[in-house]
Amino acid sequence: MSKGFAATARMTLLASGVLACFVLVAARLVFLHVLDRDELLRYVEQARRTITVEQARRGAILDARGNVLATSRSEVTLAIDPWAAAEYLEAEKNPARRARRRLEQAAKRGQLASILGMSAAEMEQLFRPGRRAIAWEKDVNDEAQDGLVKDRWIKVREGLDEATYDRIAALELRGVVRERRYRRVYPAGQLASHLLGYVNREGTPVMGAEHHFDLYLKGQDGWIESEKDGARRELAQFRSREVPAQDGHDVVLTIDSVVQHIIEGELRKLAEKYEPQSATIIVSDPRTGEILGLANHPTFDPNEFNRAPLAAQRNRAVTDILEPGSTFKIVAAGAALNEGLVTPLTTFDCGQASVLYRGSERRLPKEDHDFGRLTVAGIVSHSSNRGAAHLAMLLGEQRFHEYARRFGFGQPTSFPLGGEVRGILEDPTRWDGLTITRMPMGHAVAATPLQIHMAMSAVANRGTLLRPQIVREVRDSSGHVVRRFAAEERGQVLRPDTAAILAQMLHGVVGPEGTGNGFDIPGFEVAGKTGTTQKIVDGRYVTNRHVASFVGFFPASRPELVLSVIVDDARVPHGNAYGRAVAAPAFKSVAEQLIQYLDLKPVMTPVTRQLFAAHGGDR
Amino acid sequence: MKPPPPHALVSKLIALTLALLVFAGTLGLGAVWVRQEIFSTANRSRGLEVKLADVERRLDEVNAEVAAALNPDALLRRNDAMRLGLAMPVEAQVARVGVSPETLLATRRNREIFQLDPSPARDGGPIRFVSIR
Repeated sequence: MSKGFAATARMTLLASGVLACFVLVAARLVFLHVLDRDELLRYVEQARRTITVEQARRGAILDARGNVLATSRSEVTLAIDPWAAAEYLEAEKNPARRARRRLEQAAKRGQLASILGMSAAEMEQLFRPGRRAIAWEKDVNDEAQDGLVKDRWIKVREGLDEATYDRIAALELRGVVRERRYRRVYPAGQLASHLLGYVNREGTPVMGAEHHFDLYLKGQDGWIESEKDGARRELAQFRSREVPAQDGHDVVLTIDSVVQHIIEGELRKLAEKYEPQSATIIVSDPRTGEILGLANHPTFDPNEFNRAPLAAQRNRAVTDILEPGSTFKIVAAGAALNEGLVTPLTTFDCGQASVLYRGSERRLPKEDHDFGRLTVAGIVSHSSNRGAAHLAMLLGEQRFHEYARRFGFGQPTSFPLGGEVRGILEDPTRWDGLTITRMPMGHAVAATPLQIHMAMSAVANRGTLLRPQIVREVRDSSGHVVRRFAAEERGQVLRPDTAAILAQMLHGVVGPEGTGNGFDIPGFEVAGKTGTTQKIVDGRYVTNRHVASFVGFFPASRPELVLSVIVDDARVPHGNAYGRAVAAPAFKSVAEQLIQYLDLKPVMTPVTRQLFAAHGGDR
Repeated sequence: MKPPPPHALVSKLIALTLALLVFAGTLGLGAVWVRQEIFSTANRSRGLEVKLADVERRLDEVNAEVAAALNPDALLRRNDAMRLGLAMPVEAQVARVGVSPETLLATRRNREIFQLDPSPARDGGPIRFVSIR
């Protein structure tokens, strides 16, 4: 045998061996990639693929000065995986070391129990491996398909703060697992709760700004598709798709926390003193329609929304209707002046009990005093029911109704947080013979406190009715303004000069002969209107239960703030819960505090009609 | 021409195969090294992400605590607890002036320091000067 043959034979053998190896590998690959492909892929998917959801942080709600009213903070849900703890011990094959591990873990479990305020026995019980039942068809991941799987999530505690969790993590105890989630918190407690609303346990925004601006606030959750190792840790190098979370925008309200605090404090005093069924105070800037504060009694703490009765969660400023009473007299007076039918000095006989109107005798409403003849200015300042009826009759049903609608009664104010009712203002075709004499004094009509407030705001804003604004702007998570909300006009109710004259007449309400005598603030020209409405109980007006209100603005010659105080069913001796007795003192108290806080300047030149007319009510 | 001996061809083939194996091995090792680098970079990056998320979480926590401490009710409670006696002034305490309040206060302070006709505060209480301009 030659050497060349031997070499060739060896090479052939070697080549055959290598070829055989390749054939084996190829055959195995065919098995893996073709024949067993589906089953193996399913196994890999289940065993290694993981999708991690990255929770977006919900945006904050801020007040006009940047104070945080609602924000999100992370909290930890702590759970035990007893199987992981057991597997950790079993992984150590050396008996001595395993015993040492067991002792160490037991000591750490004792420390965990003391951090969580539990007994050591309770903790040991939690670390005992167990199984839980699942649907039989889903039981495919462990060795036996018996409808039982290892229980790897035994919840121990919810709502742990980060500091406490840090102490637990420092123990490095095997089998302790956690889940982080954002929880909504309201650092100021019940401040502005009816405006903020709340997010419930399921993360659903329920009411207020939380609900109506959820689109901006919620953000967009992200997710990561990746693979995990045997210890369920993510293998970052195998990330196949990654969508980053987009944090929610911040919503900046027009509310000022201090203004809100002032009015809520006043409501608390009213509640303690008069125990009313409900009460509302609203403060706004007439020039922009921005609401600086809006509060209701009863109220609630959105951090503990589940403990608050539903009645306390209602934003009564927009959900409840009431007869506006004498505050509605601005409609008749403003309309008659605006139509040029009267001047402030035109007089009416307010002593008559009935008048002839459109060929039939109409009985006029009762008065508290016998006023005799009164000027239009006197009708407003004395709050004469008969005088208001005279003014409405002068206008006629149709025109009076049209002005009431122009003032915003009988239609929603377009309050941005929704939930409001439109009130009741019937069409003149459905009025009876007495309505033209009763509606001018605020009966036979129903409005929300916000509607009454915005109507007065129109007088303060040179006769222009605005939409109430509650949101100033929306900012993204880096602080850039995404959307800004500007003042929105709803219509011109009165000419500016008429509005200025009416403002002067309303200033007379706090004058020596007005129903609000004693509630002026020197230098700040309070202009307002008291209102007292008898409540309807079982379909009849009762004389001992009232809705008391004082709605006004200041300074009359250059209005800067509109303020409404409405108290429903205050308990006072003899049942005389009049606007003057209950609401006006609260109005003055709030106004005095707001003047100092907002640093409002007094008016140096006394208000005069000529001055108003000359400037057309200009500020 | 005399053909090359067959074992020389085989030797060349073996040499070429070895060279190919070395080349493939180098490529393989390179690929392993690259994968290792990707692995460690991805893990470092994930570690940084976790740290960043942790910092943001703690920031949220602190912001919420600051907001709770700054709300008007909490400040009033602290005012009482620390006996600071801070209160909103009433209009009677306020002197409206036509000049800069800072200048006026400085003038008044200077007069007090140099004992030039010190003017006591009205009603014995503090006066808040507010410019009317």
